[in-house]
Amino acid sequence: MSLPLEDLLKLEPEAVLTHNERPKADDLRNKKQIYYEDVEEGMELPKYIYNPTPTHLFRWSAAIENFHRIHYDLDFGLNHDKNPSILVHGSWKQSVVPQFLKDWTLPKGWPWKAQFEHRAMLVPGDILIMWGRVTSKYEKGQMGFVELEIGMKTQDGIESMPGTATVVLPLRNGPDIPYPFVPPAD
Amino acid sequence: MTQEAQSALTPEVRAMIGVAGDVVEAWGVVDAEYLRRFTQAVMDPDPRYWDQEYAEGTHYGELITPPIMVSYLASRIRPDQDDPVTRAFEENPESDGIGSIERPGELPPVPTDLVRVLNAGNELEIYQYPSIGDKVFFQNKYSDIRERVGRDGRAFLIITRETTYKNQDGDLLCITRASTIRR
Repeated sequence: MSLPLEDLLKLEPEAVLTHNERPKADDLRNKKQIYYEDVEEGMELPKYIYNPTPTHLFRWSAAIENFHRIHYDLDFGLNHDKNPSILVHGSWKQSVVPQFLKDWTLPKGWPWKAQFEHRAMLVPGDILIMWGRVTSKYEKGQMGFVELEIGMKTQDGIESMPGTATVVLPLRNGPDIPYPFVPPAD
Repeated sequence: MTQEAQSALTPEVRAMIGVAGDVVEAWGVVDAEYLRRFTQAVMDPDPRYWDQEYAEGTHYGELITPPIMVSYLASRIRPDQDDPVTRAFEENPESDGIGSIERPGELPPVPTDLVRVLNAGNELEIYQYPSIGDKVFFQNKYSDIRERVGRDGRAFLIITRETTYKNQDGDLLCITRASTIRR
């Protein structure tokens, strides 16, 4: 059973890791649609828990060709930039967001918009919890719009990426969400 | 005593709002190998990225790619240009590896003597997943520049750079906005 974020943050770090709800390939393949009518204010999305290592950071740097030394050169990070360690990339966090929203809205919803800030320095060894919570919803153009509060907290409850998002879910007896996505006219 | 803030939002800075760069064609195409590396690095195992038969039966009708993967494709250094990464480290072995690298489609600098740059946040708007084989065209623009006053009474700027990504057919893929604080 999914633990509420508030309860998750009361656990010891090792115990937090056991509550990871990141889906595997077959979970995504067989994902059942959440409809607009299923959503209520305060509902939490499945929490994605990460425990990034230097190897994860290096792989991300290589994948996106980010040569910034603070992400892979510990000596440079400590002695030149005076950081506590090599740093988790803001670009990686930014790329988790659409994944997180996509997964929740699959197979026929749409992860339309997100905005967030980068606030804390994250380092290998931190346990990171990508979370989201429904704040409101409304119907428009035969589509269900859901507003979310999102973020990525550390095991200490520090919010490193406060933000909001808007996703679109189909109505239970409504048409498919158009793809490519076209927002309804105001 | 509070120091009165001197405005950083000068007419020259304000004039940069709306300034757009050229439409630039990113090097290469959206390809399966780059998709593999990207999705493994972000740790997204979705079969919609790699199981073609399955993907063709989904809502999207084909393999999809993560929406903002194109933003990293757009920042690739073209092989037919001078290599700024090699140059940066040759000229300064202490280079941080990013600050002195000129990327394709860069905007002219905002004329301010505020030099410290901090990441203020990001926005994403997603309309269509890029398809394998797509060519990506992007354009940067200063969409907003605002002034704020810090606790020390000094003015600083929040500069927002918007990038619009389209495919070879002119279809809108996504829009990203990156805001930086200049102190």
